[in-house]
Amino acid sequence: MKIVAVIPAYNEEQRIRNSAEDAGRFVDTVVVVDDCSKDKTGEVALTAGAHVLRHEINRGQGAALQTGTDYAVQNLEADIIVHFDADGQMQGADIPKMIEPILNSEVDIVLGSRFLGAESNMPLSRRLTLWLALLFTRLVSGIKISDTHNGFRALSKYSAQNIKISLDRMAHASEILDLIKLKNLKFVERPVMIKYTADTLAKGQSFMSGFIVLKDFIKSKFID
Amino acid sequence: MIFQFSLIIFAIFAIIRTYKQYRLQRVSASWLTSWLLLWLAVILVAISPQSTDILAKYVGVERGADLLVYSAVVILYYGLYRMMVKQEKLQQELTSLVRKLAIMEAKKIEAKKDR
Repeated sequence: MKIVAVIPAYNEEQRIRNSAEDAGRFVDTVVVVDDCSKDKTGEVALTAGAHVLRHEINRGQGAALQTGTDYAVQNLEADIIVHFDADGQMQGADIPKMIEPILNSEVDIVLGSRFLGAESNMPLSRRLTLWLALLFTRLVSGIKISDTHNGFRALSKYSAQNIKISLDRMAHASEILDLIKLKNLKFVERPVMIKYTADTLAKGQSFMSGFIVLKDFIKSKFID
Repeated sequence: MIFQFSLIIFAIFAIIRTYKQYRLQRVSASWLTSWLLLWLAVILVAISPQSTDILAKYVGVERGADLLVYSAVVILYYGLYRMMVKQEKLQQELTSLVRKLAIMEAKKIEAKKDR
């Protein structure tokens, strides 16, 4: 079984080495998709031993994930693809328990959750935003999960071939849940530890960016 | 009066332009006919604004001028929607192109590493 981690990165030269090396300890290959960073993210990732793909124009996290996933499936013949963040909030040590249900052929996709027991220092405002997202997802997609916008996922080759992200920006997380339901993919959630720091919080999704995600997701329902 | 006069001049200009395009075989006969009917209707409304009242009453709007404004808003919003769809498609095509380039370049880098 070949396991490949896909890390989308934008202006992460300070943190990409740690993230790539951390994930690299638990997978066979690390793919970093440099989404047209203005700094040396790509070069740093390359010296960290990752395969580096560069978007010549910034296309967003969803687009970068799809690029990395396509590359992992088509060119690296990956059997399991792990979506991992570049900012160091996720812990590579969580990867084995994320891929375990796929290795045991129990499910097609495993979703990380911050609300299933693993402790995290999530601020209240972030908690509130995620709670609203959860409510919206339950209403629109009808999928019952505890954490809708967690970027930590493990996909079997089959689910990677069935989930094609078309929403380039942050709304891709909602789109993936929609596709899980639509394509009848078997999924399970696993607790993961997400560590927040002041600078990663500043870069992450705020309450306001929640509205942008909502707008993009609703817009996608009207455009084929 | 000036507004009505300008509208008629503009409509005549549009008809002449379309006819020239038709003569050069750049537009079809059906396009010329529909365009002609539209601009003739505009001339009719400019000459006799009350004529729109009949249509307005028929569809349940008080005045013809109101009907024109309502229709314009609906048509403009539809145009906006069409543009949004087009823009979204272009964005998706751009992403697809950027993705292909990224994968191609990565393959080249990996091939060099293997050598």
